[in-house]
Amino acid sequence: MCVGLSAKVVRIQDGTAIVDASGARRDVSVALLDEIEPGDYVMVHAGIAIAKITDEDEHETDEVLEALYA
Amino acid sequence: MSDATRLTPAQILASYDGRPLRIMEVCGTHTHEIFRLGIRKMFPAQVELISGPGCPVCVTPVGFIDEAIWLAEHGATITTFGDLVRVPGTSGSLATARAAGARVQVVYSPLDAVDYAREHTDEQVVFLSVGFETTVPASCLAAKQALDEGLTNFSLLTANKTMPNAYAALRDSADVFLYPGHVHAIIGTALCEDLVAQGVSGVLAGFTAKELVTALAVAVAKGATGEPFFVNAYPRVVRPEGTPQAVALIDELMEPCDTEWRGLGVIPQSGLKLRDKFAAVDARRVFNMPAIEGRANPACRCGEILRGSCKPSDCPLFGRVCTPQHPVGACMVSGEGACSAYYQYGGDML
Amino acid sequence: MSAAEKVTLAMGAGGKQTSELIERVFAQRFASPLLTADDAAVLDAPHGKMAMSTDGFIVSPSFFAGGNIGKLSICGTVNDLACMGARPLYLTCAFVIEEGYPLDKLEQIADAMAATAAEVGVTLVAGDTKVAGRGQVDGVFITTTGVGELVEGAAPEGSKAAPGDAIIVTGDVGRHGCTILLERDDFGIEADVTSDCAPLWASVEAMFDVTHDVHVIRDATRGGVGTVLYEIAGQSDVGVVLDAAAIPVDPAVGGVCRMLGLEPLYLACEGRLVIIAPKDVAPAIVEALRACPYSAGAAIIGEVTAERPGWVVLNTEIGTQTLLPQPTGELLPRIC
Repeated sequence: MCVGLSAKVVRIQDGTAIVDASGARRDVSVALLDEIEPGDYVMVHAGIAIAKITDEDEHETDEVLEALYA
Repeated sequence: MSDATRLTPAQILASYDGRPLRIMEVCGTHTHEIFRLGIRKMFPAQVELISGPGCPVCVTPVGFIDEAIWLAEHGATITTFGDLVRVPGTSGSLATARAAGARVQVVYSPLDAVDYAREHTDEQVVFLSVGFETTVPASCLAAKQALDEGLTNFSLLTANKTMPNAYAALRDSADVFLYPGHVHAIIGTALCEDLVAQGVSGVLAGFTAKELVTALAVAVAKGATGEPFFVNAYPRVVRPEGTPQAVALIDELMEPCDTEWRGLGVIPQSGLKLRDKFAAVDARRVFNMPAIEGRANPACRCGEILRGSCKPSDCPLFGRVCTPQHPVGACMVSGEGACSAYYQYGGDML
Repeated sequence: MSAAEKVTLAMGAGGKQTSELIERVFAQRFASPLLTADDAAVLDAPHGKMAMSTDGFIVSPSFFAGGNIGKLSICGTVNDLACMGARPLYLTCAFVIEEGYPLDKLEQIADAMAATAAEVGVTLVAGDTKVAGRGQVDGVFITTTGVGELVEGAAPEGSKAAPGDAIIVTGDVGRHGCTILLERDDFGIEADVTSDCAPLWASVEAMFDVTHDVHVIRDATRGGVGTVLYEIAGQSDVGVVLDAAAIPVDPAVGGVCRMLGLEPLYLACEGRLVIIAPKDVAPAIVEALRACPYSAGAAIIGEVTAERPGWVVLNTEIGTQTLLPQPTGELLPRIC
């Protein structure tokens, strides 16, 4: 329902960030997120950042499994 | 359970021998990735994966395409996500309207549609605002930006949907829901917790291969017990509180309304429309549009497919009259529609 | 010639101004004993069998990172000949130019054509120039026709893929299509991507030095490598199994595709061949290809099977199998 693109924030100015996904760059709005800095990873949908990404999927899924077995 | 008996997510799926389980992936992007990654073959026969109604293109009613074409015929420039271009209306799609001379611009973002409006002040630019909670904030940001800049040639044709009442309508269609990660990135997880209290189970899933397989492993491991549960298996993106500014923005511009889901009928208070004070960016009001009712092909079984009560291959049109090249129903148009995924990935062939 | 000069309708009227245009833009650049002012070129017939191919080129924009429509028009026909195992000998070219097109750009196009033809060793032997009214064409359209001489002992055909054959691509996929998409700037995306547009006869020749036992050679153009593989699977009535992880994709092309929801296998290439050959000779072919500049990224990406004839199957990153969705026509970016 919503293709998301994980991308790295390169630069921010006035609520707009340039994000980079493996060398593909685009302006996206970061108006909906607080405390985003260059170097952060964000989830982008339809030209806006909808969430900050706080981990890699490898580590995340390890923890999910850990909890399943807890 | 000791470390020695720990299974990988793939092993959990393959070795499941519990009660029959129906898992509904609500989100069309999940459907698409599950097919793309061949995940269906990782399950034993008693687990059934059902593709739910979470593709905004699939659930957008025929009449909406008719409305868009009406606008184009009345001088509007239509800006849209690429997904909608080939969706059939009652008689023709935006692609056929474009071939007949309509102005149809594909954009990546609603914000790009505002850029287009700014650069083409002699055109009335309408953005086709489809999508769920994930996509609505982008439309709202675009509308606000246009108003802030004083643009008078930009408006939205809305057909937005929200999930809470849809979950309620679907609650008996599955034993476990795979919740759409990016919808909940916006609205948070409180709804999922409420659903557990009502006996509805679900796992919130991300979109990488690892995340999907892990979330499905959690779904079968926990689903085996029959006890209602909720697990957020996508915590790196979905926080319990969601993205509050996005929710506030939606609430500022839009209000709930009853809305038609293609194939499912009207679900009360499951849609969003612009509030009266934003009439200036509401295409229906800007253009004084008459009520337009679309007519879907009566043989199309998209509705039952979206509810998970029949497979694409059960539809008489599937693969014969209705193909990705010549779609009849919306489920065949969108790359993430159940029929399209089923057709393109060869159904049960592999 | 100053940058401000434009092509006029009079330059296409067949009179003195036409002669001047041809003289200034084309005649010197394409000069050879075979290119005369007469009505047709008179040529030595090739030894043995010959191959002939024609192709029309329209690309918007006509200049892009890594080339222009002129280079493209030579590469396209040279590569079509190379795919039949034919050494390109002669080319003709026909231009339809829009009134008002800048002459200096036309010169750059002719420069690129001359340079590419010289590199391949193919001779431009005849040409035609027409000027169409403003709006009747988009910039410049070029049609090239080529004649080549078949290399003895090699007879690749689309129907010859056999179970057990290896599938090779001569480099990373989808770069031309991605370049054009970025040049059009419809989606506000920037990336350092250069078209793969290149003439591939030298690569084919290097391969023939190693073996003539090559079953299929195809250039992946508009529909990309995916479309070509479906065509071959259909023509040869075989299945194709690809190893998803082995398919070379430039990272930035991958990034653009993820942004727009596109499949790199369906983006156009203009300098990539799909080669199908018996598995035992495939490593030597890859080695020979890698020694050539335009196929340095050659790789084996899969194999031909007897199972599931007509279909292209992918072995995924997680060890499962899935079908490559069939091509659906216009590429539309998607949010869902």
